[in-house]
Amino acid sequence: MTTPYGATVLEHFRRPRNQRSLERPTASHEGYNPLCGDRVRLEVAIDDGVIQSAGFTANACAICTASASLLTERVSGSTVDVALAIRDDEAVEALNAELPPARLACALLPLRALREALGKARTPA
Amino acid sequence: MTDVLDQLQQLRDTERRVAMATLVAARGGSPRPLGAKLFVGAGGRLVGSVSIGGCVDARVIEHGERILGVAGGRCERVTVTVDDQEALELGLNCGAEFDLFIESLSLADDDPTMQLLRSAASAAAGGHAAYVVTQMSPASTARRVVMSEGRAIASSSAHTIPVDAVAPELQDLEKSAMRATPSGDVFIDRLAPPDTLVIVGASDVAAALSRFGHQLGMRVVVIDGRERYATRERFSQADEVRVGMPSELVRPYLVAGASIVLVAHEYKYELPILRDALRSPARFVGMLAGRKRADGIRTLLREDGLSEEQLARLHAPIGLDIGGREPEEIALSIAAQLIAVREGKAIGRRS
Repeated sequence: MTTPYGATVLEHFRRPRNQRSLERPTASHEGYNPLCGDRVRLEVAIDDGVIQSAGFTANACAICTASASLLTERVSGSTVDVALAIRDDEAVEALNAELPPARLACALLPLRALREALGKARTPA
Repeated sequence: MTDVLDQLQQLRDTERRVAMATLVAARGGSPRPLGAKLFVGAGGRLVGSVSIGGCVDARVIEHGERILGVAGGRCERVTVTVDDQEALELGLNCGAEFDLFIESLSLADDDPTMQLLRSAASAAAGGHAAYVVTQMSPASTARRVVMSEGRAIASSSAHTIPVDAVAPELQDLEKSAMRATPSGDVFIDRLAPPDTLVIVGASDVAAALSRFGHQLGMRVVVIDGRERYATRERFSQADEVRVGMPSELVRPYLVAGASIVLVAHEYKYELPILRDALRSPARFVGMLAGRKRADGIRTLLREDGLSEEQLARLHAPIGLDIGGREPEEIALSIAAQLIAVREGKAIGRRS
Protein backbone atom coordinates (compact mmCIF):
# COMPACT_ATOMS: atom_id res chain seq x y z
CA MET A 1 0.00 0.00 0.00
CA THR A 2 1.30 3.49 -0.82
CA THR A 3 0.42 6.56 1.19
CA PRO A 4 1.06 10.25 0.64
CA TYR A 5 1.54 10.67 4.38
CA GLY A 6 4.91 9.02 4.89
CA ALA A 7 6.54 5.96 6.36
CA THR A 8 5.50 6.57 9.99
CA VAL A 9 1.80 6.63 9.18
CA LEU A 10 2.11 3.55 7.00
CA GLU A 11 4.12 1.64 9.59
CA HIS A 12 1.71 2.38 12.44
CA PHE A 13 -1.36 1.74 10.29
CA ARG A 14 -0.16 -1.64 9.08
CA ARG A 15 1.48 -2.69 12.36
CA PRO A 16 -0.40 -0.75 15.01
CA ARG A 17 0.94 -0.89 18.57
CA ASN A 18 -1.44 -1.48 21.47
CA GLN A 19 -4.43 -2.27 19.24
CA ARG A 20 -6.27 -4.35 21.78
CA SER A 21 -8.89 -4.17 24.47
CA LEU A 22 -7.59 -4.01 28.04
CA GLU A 23 -8.84 -6.63 30.46
CA ARG A 24 -9.62 -4.18 33.21
CA PRO A 25 -9.45 -0.60 31.98
CA THR A 26 -9.77 2.16 34.55
CA ALA A 27 -11.52 4.29 31.96
CA SER A 28 -12.26 4.39 28.26
CA HIS A 29 -13.78 6.72 25.72
CA GLU A 30 -14.91 6.21 22.13
CA GLY A 31 -14.14 9.14 19.87
CA TYR A 32 -16.16 9.60 16.72
CA ASN A 33 -15.98 11.81 13.67
CA PRO A 34 -19.59 12.18 12.49
CA LEU A 35 -18.64 13.25 9.00
CA CYS A 36 -16.12 10.62 7.91
CA GLY A 37 -17.19 7.90 10.32
CA ASP A 38 -13.82 7.33 12.00
CA ARG A 39 -14.24 5.61 15.36
CA VAL A 40 -11.52 5.01 17.93
CA ARG A 41 -11.89 3.78 21.51
CA LEU A 42 -9.02 4.58 23.92
CA GLU A 43 -8.65 2.52 27.07
CA VAL A 44 -6.29 3.18 29.97
CA ALA A 45 -5.37 1.22 33.07
CA ILE A 46 -4.17 3.64 35.76
CA ASP A 47 -2.52 2.87 39.06
CA ASP A 48 -1.45 5.56 41.50
CA GLY A 49 -1.55 8.29 38.87
CA VAL A 50 0.49 6.30 36.34
CA ILE A 51 -0.89 4.89 33.08
CA GLN A 52 0.18 1.27 33.38
CA SER A 53 -1.14 0.36 29.95
CA ALA A 54 -3.09 1.94 27.11
CA GLY A 55 -4.92 0.23 24.28
CA PHE A 56 -7.20 1.16 21.44
CA THR A 57 -9.77 -0.25 19.05
CA ALA A 58 -10.27 1.54 15.75
CA ASN A 59 -12.43 1.41 12.69
CA ALA A 60 -10.63 4.40 11.31
CA CYS A 61 -8.46 5.74 8.50
CA ALA A 62 -4.70 5.23 8.33
CA ILE A 63 -3.93 8.62 9.89
CA CYS A 64 -6.30 8.13 12.81
CA THR A 65 -5.12 4.55 13.42
CA ALA A 66 -1.45 5.54 13.25
CA SER A 67 -2.08 8.46 15.59
CA ALA A 68 -3.75 6.16 18.13
CA SER A 69 -0.84 3.73 17.87
CA LEU A 70 1.77 6.45 18.43
CA LEU A 71 -0.22 8.03 21.24
CA THR A 72 -0.71 4.81 23.21
CA GLU A 73 3.01 4.06 22.86
CA ARG A 74 3.85 7.49 24.19
CA VAL A 75 1.54 7.52 27.22
CA SER A 76 2.12 3.95 28.42
CA GLY A 77 4.12 4.32 31.64
CA SER A 78 3.67 8.08 31.92
CA THR A 79 1.69 9.92 34.55
CA VAL A 80 -1.83 11.09 33.90
CA ASP A 81 -0.65 14.68 34.24
CA VAL A 82 2.01 14.23 31.57
CA ALA A 83 -0.49 12.58 29.23
CA LEU A 84 -2.97 15.39 29.73
CA ALA A 85 -0.28 17.91 28.83
CA ILE A 86 0.24 16.51 25.30
CA ARG A 87 -0.59 19.31 22.89
CA ASP A 88 -2.47 18.94 19.59
CA ASP A 89 0.58 19.98 17.55
CA GLU A 90 2.70 17.32 19.27
CA ALA A 91 0.25 14.59 18.30
CA VAL A 92 0.25 15.80 14.70
CA GLU A 93 4.05 16.15 14.56
CA ALA A 94 4.46 12.58 15.80
CA LEU A 95 2.96 11.37 12.52
CA ASN A 96 5.90 12.90 10.65
CA ALA A 97 3.66 13.74 7.71
CA GLU A 98 2.39 16.70 5.73
CA LEU A 99 -1.29 16.55 6.60
CA PRO A 100 -3.82 18.65 4.72
CA PRO A 101 -5.97 20.74 7.12
CA ALA A 102 -9.01 18.59 6.39
CA ARG A 103 -7.23 15.57 7.92
CA LEU A 104 -6.20 17.17 11.21
CA ALA A 105 -9.43 15.96 12.80
CA CYS A 106 -8.39 12.39 11.96
CA ALA A 107 -4.98 12.87 13.58
CA LEU A 108 -6.43 14.44 16.72
CA LEU A 109 -9.37 12.09 17.33
CA PRO A 110 -7.31 9.65 19.48
CA LEU A 111 -5.85 12.46 21.60
CA ARG A 112 -9.32 13.84 22.26
CA ALA A 113 -10.57 10.39 23.19
CA LEU A 114 -7.60 9.96 25.54
CA ARG A 115 -8.33 13.27 27.28
CA GLU A 116 -11.95 12.23 27.76
CA ALA A 117 -10.91 8.84 29.17
CA LEU A 118 -8.44 10.43 31.57
CA GLY A 119 -11.08 12.92 32.63
CA LYS A 120 -13.44 10.06 33.45
CA ALA A 121 -10.69 8.34 35.44
CA ARG A 122 -10.26 11.44 37.56
CA THR A 123 -13.97 11.85 38.17
CA PRO A 124 -15.40 8.33 38.47
CA ALA A 125 -19.13 8.04 37.89
CA MET B 1 -44.08 -21.87 5.24
CA THR B 2 -42.13 -19.02 6.77
CA ASP B 3 -44.81 -16.50 5.88
CA VAL B 4 -47.83 -18.68 6.54
CA LEU B 5 -49.08 -16.54 9.41
CA ASP B 6 -48.70 -13.38 7.32
CA GLN B 7 -50.73 -15.03 4.60
CA LEU B 8 -53.45 -16.09 7.01
CA GLN B 9 -53.49 -12.61 8.51
CA GLN B 10 -54.17 -11.16 5.06
CA LEU B 11 -57.29 -13.34 4.84
CA ARG B 12 -58.67 -12.66 8.29
CA ASP B 13 -60.08 -9.27 7.32
CA THR B 14 -62.72 -10.81 5.12
CA GLU B 15 -62.66 -14.57 5.57
CA ARG B 16 -63.70 -16.80 8.47
CA ARG B 17 -62.78 -20.14 6.92
CA VAL B 18 -60.18 -21.12 4.36
CA ALA B 19 -58.85 -24.18 2.63
CA MET B 20 -55.10 -24.52 3.08
CA ALA B 21 -53.42 -26.47 0.27
CA THR B 22 -49.82 -27.53 0.89
CA LEU B 23 -47.58 -28.89 -1.86
CA VAL B 24 -46.33 -32.17 -0.37
CA ALA B 25 -44.89 -34.05 -3.36
CA ALA B 26 -44.03 -33.35 -6.98
CA ARG B 27 -43.11 -35.63 -9.84
CA GLY B 28 -41.71 -34.30 -13.08
CA GLY B 29 -40.34 -31.15 -11.47
CA SER B 30 -41.84 -28.29 -9.51
CA PRO B 31 -40.73 -24.68 -9.61
CA ARG B 32 -42.10 -24.16 -6.09
CA PRO B 33 -40.51 -25.89 -3.10
CA LEU B 34 -42.39 -28.53 -1.13
CA GLY B 35 -44.36 -26.80 1.60
CA ALA B 36 -45.59 -24.01 -0.71
CA LYS B 37 -49.14 -23.02 0.16
CA LEU B 38 -52.27 -21.72 -1.47
CA PHE B 39 -55.15 -20.46 0.67
CA VAL B 40 -58.66 -20.44 -0.72
CA GLY B 41 -61.14 -18.35 1.26
CA ALA B 42 -64.73 -19.48 1.68
CA GLY B 43 -65.62 -16.01 0.40
CA GLY B 44 -63.48 -16.45 -2.71
CA ARG B 45 -60.22 -14.72 -1.84
CA LEU B 46 -56.91 -16.33 -2.80
CA VAL B 47 -53.50 -15.90 -1.17
CA GLY B 48 -50.29 -17.71 -2.11
CA SER B 49 -49.67 -20.34 -4.75
CA VAL B 50 -48.37 -23.86 -5.16
CA SER B 51 -47.11 -23.36 -8.72
CA ILE B 52 -45.50 -20.59 -10.72
CA GLY B 53 -48.27 -20.38 -13.28
CA GLY B 54 -51.99 -20.83 -12.90
CA CYS B 55 -52.60 -24.25 -14.40
CA VAL B 56 -52.11 -26.20 -11.16
CA ASP B 57 -53.48 -23.53 -8.85
CA ALA B 58 -56.79 -23.46 -10.73
CA ARG B 59 -57.36 -27.14 -10.01
CA VAL B 60 -56.25 -26.80 -6.43
CA ILE B 61 -58.81 -24.02 -5.96
CA GLU B 62 -61.53 -26.38 -7.17
CA HIS B 63 -60.45 -29.00 -4.62
CA GLY B 64 -60.22 -26.34 -1.93
CA GLU B 65 -63.76 -25.17 -2.56
CA ARG B 66 -65.00 -28.75 -2.47
CA ILE B 67 -63.31 -29.39 0.87
CA LEU B 68 -64.70 -26.15 2.31
CA GLY B 69 -68.14 -27.52 1.51
CA VAL B 70 -67.73 -30.62 3.69
CA ALA B 71 -69.61 -30.15 6.95
CA GLY B 72 -67.55 -30.82 10.07
CA GLY B 73 -64.21 -30.24 8.37
CA ARG B 74 -62.07 -32.28 6.05
CA CYS B 75 -58.46 -32.89 5.15
CA GLU B 76 -57.14 -35.10 2.40
CA ARG B 77 -54.29 -35.65 0.01
CA VAL B 78 -55.11 -35.07 -3.66
CA THR B 79 -53.09 -35.53 -6.82
CA VAL B 80 -53.20 -32.98 -9.62
CA THR B 81 -51.83 -33.92 -13.01
CA VAL B 82 -51.02 -31.28 -15.58
CA ASP B 83 -52.69 -32.91 -18.56
CA ASP B 84 -54.11 -30.00 -20.49
CA GLN B 85 -55.03 -31.67 -23.77
CA GLU B 86 -54.58 -28.54 -25.85
CA ALA B 87 -51.15 -27.87 -24.34
CA LEU B 88 -50.29 -31.53 -24.89
CA GLU B 89 -51.13 -31.30 -28.59
CA LEU B 90 -49.03 -28.15 -28.93
CA GLY B 91 -46.08 -29.85 -27.21
CA LEU B 92 -46.29 -27.46 -24.27
CA ASN B 93 -47.35 -29.84 -21.53
CA CYS B 94 -44.77 -30.07 -18.72
CA GLY B 95 -46.02 -33.51 -17.68
CA ALA B 96 -45.74 -32.72 -13.98
CA GLU B 97 -47.81 -34.28 -11.24
CA PHE B 98 -48.34 -32.75 -7.83
CA ASP B 99 -49.65 -34.05 -4.51
CA LEU B 100 -51.35 -31.56 -2.24
CA PHE B 101 -52.65 -31.87 1.27
CA ILE B 102 -55.77 -29.77 1.48
CA GLU B 103 -57.64 -29.01 4.69
CA SER B 104 -60.32 -26.65 5.91
CA LEU B 105 -59.36 -24.23 8.68
CA SER B 106 -61.16 -21.76 10.86
CA LEU B 107 -59.33 -18.44 11.15
CA ALA B 108 -60.49 -17.95 14.75
CA ASP B 109 -57.73 -17.24 17.26
CA ASP B 110 -58.61 -20.32 19.29
CA ASP B 111 -58.63 -22.70 16.35
CA PRO B 112 -56.25 -25.56 17.25
CA THR B 113 -54.52 -25.53 13.86
CA MET B 114 -53.99 -21.76 14.05
CA GLN B 115 -52.50 -22.14 17.53
CA LEU B 116 -50.25 -24.91 16.32
CA LEU B 117 -49.00 -22.91 13.34
CA ARG B 118 -48.38 -19.98 15.65
CA SER B 119 -46.22 -22.18 17.91
CA ALA B 120 -44.15 -23.30 14.95
CA ALA B 121 -43.72 -19.76 13.61
CA SER B 122 -42.78 -18.51 17.05
CA ALA B 123 -40.02 -21.13 17.39
CA ALA B 124 -38.62 -20.21 13.97
CA ALA B 125 -38.73 -16.51 14.76
CA GLY B 126 -36.79 -17.30 17.91
CA GLY B 127 -33.96 -18.77 15.83
CA HIS B 128 -34.82 -22.48 16.05
CA ALA B 129 -36.06 -24.49 13.08
CA ALA B 130 -39.54 -25.93 13.63
CA TYR B 131 -40.92 -29.03 11.92
CA VAL B 132 -44.66 -29.43 11.44
CA VAL B 133 -45.19 -33.17 11.03
CA THR B 134 -48.58 -33.96 9.48
CA GLN B 135 -50.18 -37.36 8.96
CA MET B 136 -51.26 -37.60 5.31
CA SER B 137 -54.33 -39.72 5.91
CA PRO B 138 -57.84 -38.29 5.31
CA ALA B 139 -59.77 -37.16 8.38
CA SER B 140 -62.07 -34.42 9.62
CA THR B 141 -59.07 -32.62 11.17
CA ALA B 142 -55.39 -32.98 10.33
CA ARG B 143 -53.22 -34.83 12.83
CA ARG B 144 -50.05 -32.92 13.56
CA VAL B 145 -47.13 -32.54 15.89
CA VAL B 146 -44.77 -29.55 15.92
CA MET B 147 -41.18 -30.47 16.76
CA SER B 148 -38.39 -28.07 17.62
CA GLU B 149 -35.04 -28.54 19.38
CA GLY B 150 -35.62 -32.29 19.52
CA ARG B 151 -38.98 -32.26 21.28
CA ALA B 152 -42.68 -31.86 20.59
CA ILE B 153 -43.81 -28.30 21.35
CA ALA B 154 -47.42 -28.61 20.19
CA SER B 155 -49.83 -31.20 18.83
CA SER B 156 -53.23 -31.11 17.24
CA SER B 157 -55.15 -33.52 19.43
CA ALA B 158 -55.01 -36.60 21.55
CA HIS B 159 -54.35 -38.56 18.37
CA THR B 160 -50.76 -39.58 18.19
CA ILE B 161 -48.79 -39.67 15.01
CA PRO B 162 -45.56 -41.57 14.38
CA VAL B 163 -43.02 -38.79 15.03
CA ASP B 164 -40.56 -41.27 16.51
CA ALA B 165 -39.95 -42.62 13.02
CA VAL B 166 -38.81 -39.23 11.73
CA ALA B 167 -37.56 -37.41 14.84
CA PRO B 168 -33.91 -38.59 14.57
CA GLU B 169 -33.42 -37.02 11.14
CA LEU B 170 -35.11 -33.68 11.79
CA GLN B 171 -31.95 -31.98 13.00
CA ASP B 172 -30.26 -32.56 9.63
CA LEU B 173 -33.31 -31.94 7.44
CA GLU B 174 -32.75 -28.80 5.37
CA LYS B 175 -35.95 -28.76 3.35
CA SER B 176 -39.56 -29.83 3.74
CA ALA B 177 -40.02 -33.47 2.77
CA MET B 178 -42.41 -36.44 2.68
CA ARG B 179 -41.50 -39.53 4.66
CA ALA B 180 -43.00 -43.04 4.70
CA THR B 181 -43.53 -44.51 8.15
CA PRO B 182 -45.03 -47.83 9.29
CA SER B 183 -48.23 -45.91 10.07
CA GLY B 184 -48.40 -44.17 6.70
CA ASP B 185 -46.91 -41.12 5.04
CA VAL B 186 -46.13 -37.96 6.99
CA PHE B 187 -45.19 -34.61 5.55
CA ILE B 188 -42.50 -32.65 7.40
CA ASP B 189 -42.93 -28.94 6.82
CA ARG B 190 -39.73 -27.17 7.87
CA LEU B 191 -39.96 -23.62 9.14
CA ALA B 192 -36.48 -22.22 9.07
CA PRO B 193 -35.40 -19.18 11.04
CA PRO B 194 -35.08 -16.31 8.58
CA ASP B 195 -31.70 -15.87 6.94
CA THR B 196 -29.84 -12.89 8.36
CA LEU B 197 -28.57 -10.22 5.99
CA VAL B 198 -26.09 -7.82 7.55
CA ILE B 199 -25.44 -4.69 5.50
CA VAL B 200 -22.48 -2.56 6.53
CA GLY B 201 -22.52 0.99 5.22
CA ALA B 202 -25.83 2.86 5.21
CA SER B 203 -25.64 4.03 1.59
CA ASP B 204 -28.36 4.26 -1.05
CA VAL B 205 -27.36 0.79 -2.24
CA ALA B 206 -27.84 -0.41 1.34
CA ALA B 207 -31.29 1.21 1.48
CA ALA B 208 -32.39 -0.57 -1.68
CA LEU B 209 -30.82 -3.87 -0.57
CA SER B 210 -32.56 -3.68 2.81
CA ARG B 211 -35.90 -3.41 1.00
CA PHE B 212 -35.10 -6.40 -1.23
CA GLY B 213 -33.90 -8.40 1.77
CA HIS B 214 -37.11 -7.66 3.64
CA GLN B 215 -39.22 -8.73 0.66
CA LEU B 216 -37.22 -11.95 0.41
CA GLY B 217 -38.08 -12.80 4.01
CA MET B 218 -34.64 -12.08 5.45
CA ARG B 219 -33.88 -10.57 8.82
CA VAL B 220 -32.11 -7.36 7.80
CA VAL B 221 -29.52 -5.67 10.03
CA VAL B 222 -27.95 -2.37 8.93
CA ILE B 223 -24.70 -1.26 10.55
CA ASP B 224 -22.68 1.93 10.20
CA GLY B 225 -20.35 4.08 12.24
CA ARG B 226 -22.16 7.23 11.11
CA GLU B 227 -25.43 8.03 12.84
CA ARG B 228 -26.52 10.53 10.20
CA TYR B 229 -26.65 7.74 7.63
CA ALA B 230 -27.92 4.77 9.61
CA THR B 231 -31.33 6.11 10.55
CA ARG B 232 -34.71 4.47 10.92
CA GLU B 233 -36.08 6.95 8.41
CA ARG B 234 -33.70 5.71 5.70
CA PHE B 235 -34.09 2.04 6.67
CA SER B 236 -37.72 1.69 7.64
CA GLN B 237 -37.90 -1.97 6.56
CA ALA B 238 -34.75 -3.13 8.34
CA ASP B 239 -35.24 -5.26 11.44
CA GLU B 240 -32.33 -3.54 13.20
CA VAL B 241 -30.36 -0.36 12.55
CA ARG B 242 -27.18 -0.19 14.63
CA VAL B 243 -24.60 2.58 14.98
CA GLY B 244 -21.22 2.13 16.64
CA MET B 245 -17.91 0.39 15.98
CA PRO B 246 -18.88 -1.64 12.87
CA SER B 247 -16.35 -4.47 13.36
CA GLU B 248 -17.72 -5.08 16.86
CA LEU B 249 -21.38 -4.74 15.88
CA VAL B 250 -20.96 -7.30 13.07
CA ARG B 251 -19.33 -9.96 15.27
CA PRO B 252 -22.51 -11.56 16.75
CA TYR B 253 -23.83 -12.13 13.23
CA LEU B 254 -20.81 -14.06 11.92
CA VAL B 255 -22.62 -17.39 12.08
CA ALA B 256 -23.56 -20.12 9.61
CA GLY B 257 -26.30 -19.03 7.25
CA ALA B 258 -25.66 -15.30 7.62
CA SER B 259 -24.78 -13.03 4.72
CA ILE B 260 -22.41 -10.15 5.32
CA VAL B 261 -22.54 -7.43 2.67
CA LEU B 262 -20.12 -4.50 2.82
CA VAL B 263 -21.29 -1.51 0.82
CA ALA B 264 -19.53 1.19 2.87
CA HIS B 265 -16.69 1.51 0.34
CA GLU B 266 -14.49 2.46 3.31
CA TYR B 267 -11.36 0.44 4.05
CA LYS B 268 -11.57 1.63 7.66
CA TYR B 269 -14.62 -0.62 8.08
CA GLU B 270 -13.83 -3.25 5.45
CA LEU B 271 -10.44 -4.41 6.72
CA PRO B 272 -11.34 -5.05 10.39
CA ILE B 273 -14.65 -6.67 9.45
CA LEU B 274 -13.19 -8.89 6.73
CA ARG B 275 -10.41 -10.13 9.03
CA ASP B 276 -13.13 -11.71 11.18
CA ALA B 277 -15.82 -12.43 8.58
CA LEU B 278 -13.61 -14.42 6.22
CA ARG B 279 -12.55 -16.65 9.12
CA SER B 280 -16.16 -17.14 10.24
CA PRO B 281 -18.74 -19.71 9.10
CA ALA B 282 -20.90 -16.99 7.47
CA ARG B 283 -22.45 -18.30 4.26
CA PHE B 284 -21.68 -15.19 2.20
CA VAL B 285 -19.17 -12.38 2.54
CA GLY B 286 -19.20 -9.74 -0.19
CA MET B 287 -17.86 -6.26 -0.73
CA LEU B 288 -18.82 -3.45 -3.08
CA ALA B 289 -15.62 -2.58 -4.94
CA GLY B 290 -14.14 -2.49 -8.41
CA ARG B 291 -11.75 -5.27 -9.32
CA LYS B 292 -8.59 -3.20 -8.73
CA ARG B 293 -9.71 -1.98 -5.32
CA ALA B 294 -10.89 -5.47 -4.34
CA ASP B 295 -7.47 -6.87 -5.24
CA GLY B 296 -5.86 -4.17 -3.09
CA ILE B 297 -8.00 -5.17 -0.12
CA ARG B 298 -7.09 -8.83 -0.70
CA THR B 299 -3.39 -7.92 -0.71
CA LEU B 300 -3.71 -6.18 2.66
CA LEU B 301 -5.68 -9.09 4.13
CA ARG B 302 -3.08 -11.53 2.82
CA GLU B 303 -0.40 -9.53 4.65
CA ASP B 304 -2.60 -9.76 7.76
CA GLY B 305 -2.34 -13.54 7.60
CA LEU B 306 -5.52 -14.65 5.87
CA SER B 307 -5.10 -17.79 3.79
CA GLU B 308 -5.83 -18.05 0.06
CA GLU B 309 -8.79 -20.26 0.91
CA GLN B 310 -10.22 -17.60 3.20
CA LEU B 311 -9.58 -14.84 0.66
CA ALA B 312 -11.35 -16.88 -2.02
CA ARG B 313 -14.54 -16.64 0.03
CA LEU B 314 -14.76 -12.90 -0.58
CA HIS B 315 -17.25 -11.96 -3.27
CA ALA B 316 -15.71 -8.77 -4.65
CA PRO B 317 -16.78 -7.22 -6.90
CA ILE B 318 -20.12 -8.13 -5.39
CA GLY B 319 -23.31 -8.91 -7.29
CA LEU B 320 -24.24 -10.69 -10.49
CA ASP B 321 -23.19 -9.03 -13.73
CA ILE B 322 -26.50 -7.59 -14.95
CA GLY B 323 -24.97 -4.30 -16.06
CA GLY B 324 -26.91 -1.95 -13.77
CA ARG B 325 -25.32 1.15 -12.23
CA GLU B 326 -28.16 2.74 -10.21
CA PRO B 327 -28.34 1.92 -6.47
CA GLU B 328 -31.48 -0.17 -6.92
CA GLU B 329 -29.93 -2.06 -9.84
CA ILE B 330 -26.74 -2.81 -7.91
CA ALA B 331 -28.81 -3.90 -4.90
CA LEU B 332 -30.85 -6.19 -7.15
CA SER B 333 -27.66 -7.80 -8.50
CA ILE B 334 -26.47 -8.38 -4.91
CA ALA B 335 -29.82 -9.84 -3.81
CA ALA B 336 -29.76 -12.18 -6.81
CA GLN B 337 -26.24 -13.31 -5.90
CA LEU B 338 -27.29 -14.02 -2.31
CA ILE B 339 -29.97 -16.36 -3.64
CA ALA B 340 -27.57 -17.97 -6.13
CA VAL B 341 -25.03 -18.69 -3.39
CA ARG B 342 -27.73 -20.05 -1.09
CA GLU B 343 -28.87 -22.39 -3.86
CA GLY B 344 -25.31 -23.40 -4.82
CA LYS B 345 -25.48 -21.87 -8.31
CA ALA B 346 -22.26 -20.65 -9.93
CA ILE B 347 -23.24 -17.74 -12.16
CA GLY B 348 -21.52 -14.62 -13.42
CA ARG B 349 -20.19 -12.05 -11.02
CA ARG B 350 -19.96 -8.34 -11.74
CA SER B 351 -16.78 -7.28 -13.47
